[in-house]
Amino acid sequence: MTRRGGFFASLAAFTIALTPVHAQVDFSGAWAPLFHEDLPERLPGPELGDYMGIPINDAARLRADSYDADRISVVSEYQCRPHGGDYSMRGLSNMRIDAIIDPVTEQLVAWHTRMGFQEMERTIWLDDRPHPGPLAPHTWQGFSTARWDGNMMNVYTTHLKESYMRRNGLPRSDRATFTEHWVRHGNYLTVTTLITDPVFLTEPLVRSQSWVLDPGQRMGRDICEYNQEVPKPRPDYVPSHMPDTNPFLKEVSDWYGLPSPVLRGGAETMYPEYRQKIGKPERPKEKCDRYCNCGALDNPTCSAAPRSPR
Amino acid sequence: MSFLRKTAWAAFALAGCLAAQQPDFDKVEMQVQHVQGGVYMITGAGGNTAVQVGNDGVLIVDTQFAPLAQKLMTEIRKLNRGPVLFIVNTHFHPDHVGGNAALAQMIGAARGPGRSDGVAPLKIVAHENVLNRLTQKVVNQPPFPDQGLPVDEYFTPFKDLHINGEAVFLYHEPNAHTDGDSVVLFRGSDVVATGDIFTPGAYPFVDVEHGGSVQGEIAALDHILELTVPSKTQEGGTYVIPGHGRICDEADVVEFRDMVVIIRDRIQNLLKKEMTLDQIKAARPSRDYDTEYVGPNSFVQADQFVEAIYKSLTKKSK
Amino acid sequence: MKPLLLILLISGATAALAQSARNAAPVDLTGNWVSIVAEDWRWRMTTPLKGDAASIPYKPEARAVIDAWDPAKDEAAGLQCKAYGAPAVMRIPGRLRVSWQDENTLKIELDQGRQTRLFHFGAKPSQMPAASWQGYSAARWEPPASPQGNGLPVGISPRFSAHSRSLEVSTSGLREGYLRRNGVPYSDKATVTEYYDLFQEPNGDTWFTVTTVVADPVYLFTPFVTTTDFRKEPDGSKFNPAPCSTR
Repeated sequence: MTRRGGFFASLAAFTIALTPVHAQVDFSGAWAPLFHEDLPERLPGPELGDYMGIPINDAARLRADSYDADRISVVSEYQCRPHGGDYSMRGLSNMRIDAIIDPVTEQLVAWHTRMGFQEMERTIWLDDRPHPGPLAPHTWQGFSTARWDGNMMNVYTTHLKESYMRRNGLPRSDRATFTEHWVRHGNYLTVTTLITDPVFLTEPLVRSQSWVLDPGQRMGRDICEYNQEVPKPRPDYVPSHMPDTNPFLKEVSDWYGLPSPVLRGGAETMYPEYRQKIGKPERPKEKCDRYCNCGALDNPTCSAAPRSPR
Repeated sequence: MSFLRKTAWAAFALAGCLAAQQPDFDKVEMQVQHVQGGVYMITGAGGNTAVQVGNDGVLIVDTQFAPLAQKLMTEIRKLNRGPVLFIVNTHFHPDHVGGNAALAQMIGAARGPGRSDGVAPLKIVAHENVLNRLTQKVVNQPPFPDQGLPVDEYFTPFKDLHINGEAVFLYHEPNAHTDGDSVVLFRGSDVVATGDIFTPGAYPFVDVEHGGSVQGEIAALDHILELTVPSKTQEGGTYVIPGHGRICDEADVVEFRDMVVIIRDRIQNLLKKEMTLDQIKAARPSRDYDTEYVGPNSFVQADQFVEAIYKSLTKKSK
Repeated sequence: MKPLLLILLISGATAALAQSARNAAPVDLTGNWVSIVAEDWRWRMTTPLKGDAASIPYKPEARAVIDAWDPAKDEAAGLQCKAYGAPAVMRIPGRLRVSWQDENTLKIELDQGRQTRLFHFGAKPSQMPAASWQGYSAARWEPPASPQGNGLPVGISPRFSAHSRSLEVSTSGLREGYLRRNGVPYSDKATVTEYYDLFQEPNGDTWFTVTTVVADPVYLFTPFVTTTDFRKEPDGSKFNPAPCSTR
C-alpha cells in the first residue's frame, strides 16, 4: 500500500471509530430513588380520599371511595402482591439496572430492572420484537419495548395486570398501557411516565420521578409468604365500604386545611386555571402538624410518625 | 306456568340469545396458545377450548359451536395426531357443547366397549346435570344430537382421570354459573380450565333459570383460588383458562372474585333496605365496575348481572 | 498522520461552535406550554400550611426560617416574588411562552408572577449582573456523556454515547428566595442546574420534562431534585399573566 493509500484507510477507520454505532445511553448500575416530590404519599403512603391531580372518572372515584385497606390482609392473595410496572417507577424501593448484551453481536438487546420491593423484575426489549397478542397472560410489570431517540429511551408497555395508581384504592385497569421517557444526566436518571387507561382515566396521567446513581447499595432478597392473618367473619368476605358510607374520605381536607371538593380529583384539577376555583376550606388551619419535616435531615425517609414542627 | 314449561321457555330464550351472538363462522380464525405443560388453549368463537396432548392422545375441554368443529379439529391435529380419548364439557351452554356431535362423528369412535382397531372409544364427560339439561325437550328446538351427549357423566363431587402422564380432576361446582359446572384441573401441567365461572373482562353470566346462583358462583371462584398457586411475585404458577378471554392466573381470578363479592354485598345491603329490583337497578350498584366489565358486545349487561344477583339472593329454597 | 487528523477534529469542532444556538438546536422547545400538575399537588396548587416542608431535604438551619414565614411582612417589603425565583418558578402552575430572543438567547415567559427567564448560550459576560430572582442562566445543548462532561472522546474504544437532545441550564447570581410559597428558603448561594427534555407521545401530544437540581450549601443537605412536566398547547390564548402573590 502507498503512503497516500495508507492515510485514507486510516482516516476511514478513525471516522468509523468516532461515529456512534447506536444512539444509546448507559443506564446500568444501582439507583436510589429521590423522594423530593410527594414523599409522604410515596413512602408512608397516600391518604384515603386524596385524588388531587389525578384525571380520574366517576368509576375510579367510586372504586377508591369503596376501598377498604383491610383488603390487603384479609384477602391473603394480596399480601405479597407487587406493584404494577407503572407504579413501581414511583421509586418505592431501590433499583438495579443491568444491560442484556447479545453475546454474538455485542449489541444491547434489553435492559433488565430489578427492584428491592417484592423482587419486581422487568425486561425492556430494544430489539423491535412485537408485543404478545390479546390472549397472552398479563403480568404485573407488563411487556415493554423501547426505542432510542438520541439520548432518550422511549418505552411502551402493555399486558398489565389490574393494579392501582395510588395505594389508597385508586384503580388502574388491565386495559391500561403506559409510556416512559428515560433520560440520564450525569448521575441523575429521570423517568417520565404517562399512563393511558380507557377504563378509569379521562386523560393520560403524567408523573415524573428521579433516581440517583448509588454504587454503594446492595440489594438483598425480599421473599414474601402470605398467610391468613385475620379470621374472616365468613368465607366469602372481601372488605369494602358501601357507596357513600366511607367515613374517612374528608380527613385529608381537615389535616391540611383544604376545601374538600379538591380531594375528588379529575382532569380539571391538573390545570393552572383550577386555582381560581379552589374555594375556602371548611376547617381552616394555621400551621402544619402532619408530615411537616418529612425529608429533612432529621427525618429523611419520613419514617417517623407525623409530628408537629419543632 | 308449570316448572317444566318455565324451564323449557328459559332454555329457548337462552338458545335464542346465544344464537344471536353467533358470528359468521366462515370468517372465524382459530388462535392456538400454548398455556403450560401439555395444555393449549384454542379460541375461535364461543367458549375457549382447552386441549391436553401427549403420548396417550388428546383430551378436549369444550367444543365451541358445531360449524367450527372442522377448524377446531384441524388445529388439534397440528398439536397431536393421537386418538381423541375424552371430550369434557364444563357446562351445557351451546357455545361450549355445540361441537360435540360433529367432533364425535369426525373422530369416528364407536360408543361402547371398544373399536376393532383397539383404540379406546371416545368418552364425553360432564356432570350429570349437563346431560339432564341437554336431554330436556325444548319447544321448537331440535333435540341435542345423541352422538354428542355426555353419557359418561359423573354425579359425585369430583371425578379424576389419568391421561398423558398427569392426573386430571373434574370438580363439580354446584349452582354456580349453572347447576352442572365442572372445573378441570390438569395437575401436572398446573392449569385450570374454568368454563364460564370465570370470564375476565366480562360479568359472569349467572344462569339462574338453569340452576346458577351468585352464592355458588362465589364458592366456585373461591375453590378455583384454592386450586391455583402462584409462582414468584404472585403471578404465573398455575395458569387459568377462562370460559372466554385471555389466559390468566390466580391474581386475575382474585380481582374477578372480589368484584362479584362486592357487587353482591351492595345488592344485599339494598335488599335490607327493602328495595325492589327496579329500585336496585336504578341505584346502579355496579357502576364503578361497568366500565371494566361491560362493552358494546358484552353478553351480560350491567342490569342483567344485577338482576341475576337479585334473583339469587331472593330465590326461595325449595 | 496524527497532526492531520487532529486538524480535522478541531476544524469540525470549530465549525460546530460557529453555528448559533438556535441553528444547532437538536429539539424545538419554542411554543406555548402548560404545566400539568399531578404531583406535589397541594404544595403547588395551593399555598401550603405554614411549616409544611415535606419532601424538601433541608438542614436544621432552615427550620427557623420556615417557621418564621410571614406573608404580610413579605408583601409590605415588596417581596411578593420571593417564591418565583429560578429555583422554584417552574413548579408554579402556569403557562409558558418559549421563543428565541436572538440567535443565542432562549426566552421563557411565565404568566404566573409575570417572570421572564433568559437562557444565554455562549461565553458568560465578564461582569455578572446583580443578583435577581431569575439570576443569570448559562445554557448549552448537553454534550454526549463523557468523564469530563464535555463530550470529547476518552480512551481507545469507539464511543456510543448518543447525541443529546437535552438543554442544560446553569443558573447562579440569585437573590435569596423561597422554594415554596410558604417560605421554605433558599439562600443567595444557591445554584440551579436544569435539564429540559422534549418528547412526543403516540397520541401526538408534545411534552417536556424539566429536571431541576437546586444546590444550596446553607439550607439543603443534599441537592433538591424535582421534575416538572409541561404539555404543548396549540396557541397562547390561555396565557394569563398574573402578578406575584405571597399567598
